[in-house]
Amino acid sequence: MSYLSEGFIQGLGLIFTMNEEVWTAVITTLKLSFLSMAVTLALGIPGGFILGYFSFPGRRILRIMVDTLLSIPTVVVGLFVYAFISNRGPLGGYSLLFSIPGMAIGQTILALPIVVALTASAVESVDDRLRLTLLTLGARGKRLALSTLWESRHQILLAAVTAYGRVTAEVGVSMMIGGNIKWHTRTITTAITLETGKGEFSTGIALGVLLLGLSFVLNWSLAALRRRTAS
Amino acid sequence: MMRQAQKNGTAPLYEIRDLVCAYGDEPVLHIDRLDISSDGPTAFVGHNGSGKSTLLKALAFLLKPAAGTIRFLGEPTEEREGELRREVTLLLQEPYLLRRSVFENVAYGLRARGATDRLVERVAEALQMVGLPPDFGKREWFRLSGGESRRVALASRLALRTKVLLLDEPTANVDEENALLMARVIGEAREKWGTVSLIASHDIQWLDGVCGRRILMRRGKIESISA
Ligand SMILES: Nc1ncnc2c1ncn2[C@@H]1O[C@H](COP(=O)(O)OP(=O)(O)O)[C@@H](O)[C@H]1O
Ligand SMILES: [Mg+2]
Repeated sequence: MSYLSEGFIQGLGLIFTMNEEVWTAVITTLKLSFLSMAVTLALGIPGGFILGYFSFPGRRILRIMVDTLLSIPTVVVGLFVYAFISNRGPLGGYSLLFSIPGMAIGQTILALPIVVALTASAVESVDDRLRLTLLTLGARGKRLALSTLWESRHQILLAAVTAYGRVTAEVGVSMMIGGNIKWHTRTITTAITLETGKGEFSTGIALGVLLLGLSFVLNWSLAALRRRTAS
Repeated sequence: MMRQAQKNGTAPLYEIRDLVCAYGDEPVLHIDRLDISSDGPTAFVGHNGSGKSTLLKALAFLLKPAAGTIRFLGEPTEEREGELRREVTLLLQEPYLLRRSVFENVAYGLRARGATDRLVERVAEALQMVGLPPDFGKREWFRLSGGESRRVALASRLALRTKVLLLDEPTANVDEENALLMARVIGEAREKWGTVSLIASHDIQWLDGVCGRRILMRRGKIESISA
């Protein structure tokens, strides 16, 4: 087991010496997740709000579809997006394959159902006292809708963080769409896959530690948020 | 005749006729006939489940009657709920604060009405009426005690200077001091703006100091009225 502890020590060394390969993968992960989350939130918050706030025909079936997509396997998304953006696909002309925007499309498909579903249930399950309070204070129409959304902001942030977790941790889409190209589309998770395959534990461990750190920071802020929401 | 009456200011505040309120298909409130005058506070008393909160919600135009009519100041109220909700406000039994500062809670209804000139003064006035200093406005909603939350919820209604203030069990789980404050505020709102308070409560002793007219409710019906 000594190769593991050695790997661990070497891994920490790689982090602290700012090893370029390691940091490029981290930067790519951050760029990619920023892009996919920006699109996801821009579409998902309004979409989830409409789904949770208004009643319209087909709403229930739409909810069920969104809930189903919550557990869609990353490789299935990878497959579909690949088919669309590869040379023979309908979006083949935009050279999205093996690019960060192409990967972001796949990750958005993964993250969008999370944000839509959690936003919808946050808005749906608002305390009836909130609705009555807003009404008794004289809110109506657009203000009533926007205040309901604003009062659910903590749950929506939770939705965003959950989606961010899925996006940074996934391998399937990044591997299939990005192709794990060094200095270009290699993310933390695809790098770990590769390095482990090569028996290069130290790089893998360094990346793993960084990914854990990222997740720790996120969950730390989440816990702080929960404390607030609870009161 | 009705319009005439309203112009002269003599129409009752509310005129209830053949009112039925229901949750889903289950009717829980039946009131054949009840006039509520604007002469002074009126209390609704009765056991739990007798329909007091339901009636207050109907009077706040939050609950659409399943049948019957409610006239407000001599005018019909159907399809005018949005507008009427700005003349009438309700303090819920379990007060709920918006997730914003105290100031923004109290200012919310004024902003909703577009009444934003002298906003700071009006918020300060409402806070002062409930015994809170103006700089209390900076407090965030999650840094308030139960009693303070209640006061802020009340202040956010007072700031609106509505014709009617509906109070649902305002002294339930409230200490002596807050109960006295509640009674004082009811009088003060009446003196300042002519606000009429309608109160659901079982606190008979407290009500003695607040209002004369009592409406006793039982199983969703009016049992008796005493002056
Ligand atoms: N949201 C609700 N859904 C269904 N039934 C309700 C609801 N609120 C109250 N009720 C029922 O309506 C009746 C009157 O309740 P309520 O108006 O709250 O009485 P009170 O305020 O006098 O205690 C009760 O039988 C109660 O169970
Ligand atoms: Mg009640």
